[in-house]
Amino acid sequence: MKPIVKWGLVALGIAAVGAGTGLSFMAGSPKDALQMVRYALPYMHVGNLKVGSAAPDVTLVALDGESKFQLRDRIGGKPLVLVFGSFT
Amino acid sequence: MKLYDDYKDHVDFLTIYVREAHPIDEWQMKSNEKGKDDVCYAQPKTLAQRVAIANDFTQRFKYPVPFGIDPMNNAANDAYAAWPERLYIIDEQGHVAYKGGNGPFKYNPKEVRDWLAARYGQVKHAEPAASPDKKS
Repeated sequence: MKPIVKWGLVALGIAAVGAGTGLSFMAGSPKDALQMVRYALPYMHVGNLKVGSAAPDVTLVALDGESKFQLRDRIGGKPLVLVFGSFT
Repeated sequence: MKLYDDYKDHVDFLTIYVREAHPIDEWQMKSNEKGKDDVCYAQPKTLAQRVAIANDFTQRFKYPVPFGIDPMNNAANDAYAAWPERLYIIDEQGHVAYKGGNGPFKYNPKEVRDWLAARYGQVKHAEPAASPDKKS
């Protein structure tokens, strides 16, 4: 094996261990780090919206599970604070 | 909730409930376990399941903020890159006036408070009364 390939693989290995250690530290444990990579990272996005972007209209469901409303119908008279989240 | 109580007369609030962040069948947090916060739910596969969890949440905390649930196509989540949690302010013309960072580390309600305070003034709360000193 050529030295450059060998050292490239070593560097890659060190980077992988470093990334794994960093993720484990951030997530709390190696198991949490694996679950974070599997379940969280695919869903975390920066998104395209910026200050000044038009707020996308979306359809939302009310707590009764049946009524629906449009986000655009809540926009107008006053600023609207949107709080996105979940229970868990 | 303090933010909502302080500024609800000036601005509207809307909570949008999105896909679960730490369900038991994905990346469950230890703090969610029974005996601790007791927030143990599987990732909803149907709208009814998502609605049920949303209702559990609002009832447990007597949550007063107006509420909307993202349907199972996750359209709101995708449009606003919301997952797992994020704050926005939409101005009266329907444009983004503030876009907060992704939770948990960049989720910062203080930034929303600062934006609101800059426009409507700071809401001060009375300091809790100090207990009298006991001198021997």
